[in-house]
Amino acid sequence: MARWALISGLRGDLEAYEAIQEDLRHTRRVDTLFVLGDVIGPARNCDALLSRLQQPRRGELRPQCLYGWWEDQLLAERGYRGGRRADALRLSQGETAVDALLQAVDPGHMGWLAELQFGFIELDCALLHGSSATVEDSLGPDSSPLLLLDRLTRMEVNRLFTARSGQQFSIELTGGGIESQVRDLEGQRHQQQSVPKRQVIGIGAGVHYTIYDPGTDRFDFLAAGSRSQERARGFA
Amino acid sequence: MAHAVISCLHANHAALEAVLADIDQQGIDTITCLGDLVGYGPQPNEVVELIRQRAIPTCQGCWDEDIIEGLNACDCSYPSQLAERRGHLAHQWTADQLSEENKDFLANLPMSLRRDRLLFVHGSPNSQHEYLLPNMDAFAALERVETAEADTLFCGHTHHPYVRELRDGSIRVRVQEGVASGGPSEEREINLPVRRIINAGSVGEPRHGNTNATYVIHDEQTGTVEIREVAYDVERTCRAIVESGLPAIFAWRLRHGFEYAERADDASHVCER
Ligand SMILES: [Zn+2]
Ligand SMILES: [Zn+2]
Repeated sequence: MARWALISGLRGDLEAYEAIQEDLRHTRRVDTLFVLGDVIGPARNCDALLSRLQQPRRGELRPQCLYGWWEDQLLAERGYRGGRRADALRLSQGETAVDALLQAVDPGHMGWLAELQFGFIELDCALLHGSSATVEDSLGPDSSPLLLLDRLTRMEVNRLFTARSGQQFSIELTGGGIESQVRDLEGQRHQQQSVPKRQVIGIGAGVHYTIYDPGTDRFDFLAAGSRSQERARGFA
Repeated sequence: MAHAVISCLHANHAALEAVLADIDQQGIDTITCLGDLVGYGPQPNEVVELIRQRAIPTCQGCWDEDIIEGLNACDCSYPSQLAERRGHLAHQWTADQLSEENKDFLANLPMSLRRDRLLFVHGSPNSQHEYLLPNMDAFAALERVETAEADTLFCGHTHHPYVRELRDGSIRVRVQEGVASGGPSEEREINLPVRRIINAGSVGEPRHGNTNATYVIHDEQTGTVEIREVAYDVERTCRAIVESGLPAIFAWRLRHGFEYAERADDASHVCER
């Protein structure tokens, strides 16, 4: 079975994207490239990267893109989210950040950005920027296992790939359970539930990306440009 | 101290009067209301005014929100398209009837109320429109209570009263950071706290199988919860529904005590409002 490459958090960095594409050209059996959002950001002009994602070069994997937190903020500010504006960005980083974001993306790209989806379901995996709750949900190695289990349950998937925290991590739910007692006007019912074997994987950001093999359930955390250390340990 | 929790009055004045009388009779003077003062029923102004007059702390229900904000609910608010069409009719009728003052009151209701470690919401801590059904995934149910930092969560919205206790929970995890499959990992186990969800049922539009209004009495000292059923003059409300020109099915439903073939059942639905 072919493998997937999962990337996120490029924030307009075409060089990082090219480095990943270059890596993938030399990586065996990767046939699908998922971009889990945050292709834009306020720090640099994003037009070249946006054009490239829409018109891949010959020999490049064609990216399948989701919107991330930054796209959501821009779409809101440009009126694509009902009455909502880029309030979260305004609150956390101020008006200058909102202006910078507007400057960083040519309005001609808005149509493409507005078409991006919230998530993909592939096999028994959910591919999301944040989580099944919201695009801004930041899951990481320190997230409460109860919260992670809830996010997995909402999508009814066994694996959830997330990008919002920018970290590369894996949390496997390996055991446990819970007792539940319900009383209503019909009487009392008792229920015992086990923790399902499920997993949340943080794919990284920028040049840090992940390759996943759905056939063997193996994943590799990589950094573009350091292909010789493909099995490298701990570049967090 | 014993306190009463009521929900989903749905503009049914006779039912509200009967429930308040039942509460008074037991000498209970702390009452909390979980919203849905209006919608479906024929007396929206009378019900809102009675709640205001008794100064009952109230949080905003899905109907109270929609009457003010307009119908922007996700499909999940209605269990079927037929129910949605009828809901829209009732929405329009209610919006026309309500006085500006009463609309103002509904608009300014809080999303939730908190007393110590008791949290009061209409649907769930996430949204007035999310259903916490009695059989929903136990971990997901516990997550709602835990994330809201409560010991006991009072909710309504399903029109089906229940008490659910979640206990002896634990989750084991294996964590790897910045390391690929097969690398070193750390194992952790967390024990989950005991938490309760108490659904107050519905005063004005019961769907538990008979026509009685339902609400709950919770004793904070002993932890006991009593699900109360109160008979009221159903025909009085049914007549008023028909006379007001609301869809007659709302009267039929009150006479039977359930939403025919229309129970909402999608707890895992991700509301996209
Ligand atoms: Zn209701
Ligand atoms: Zn409701």
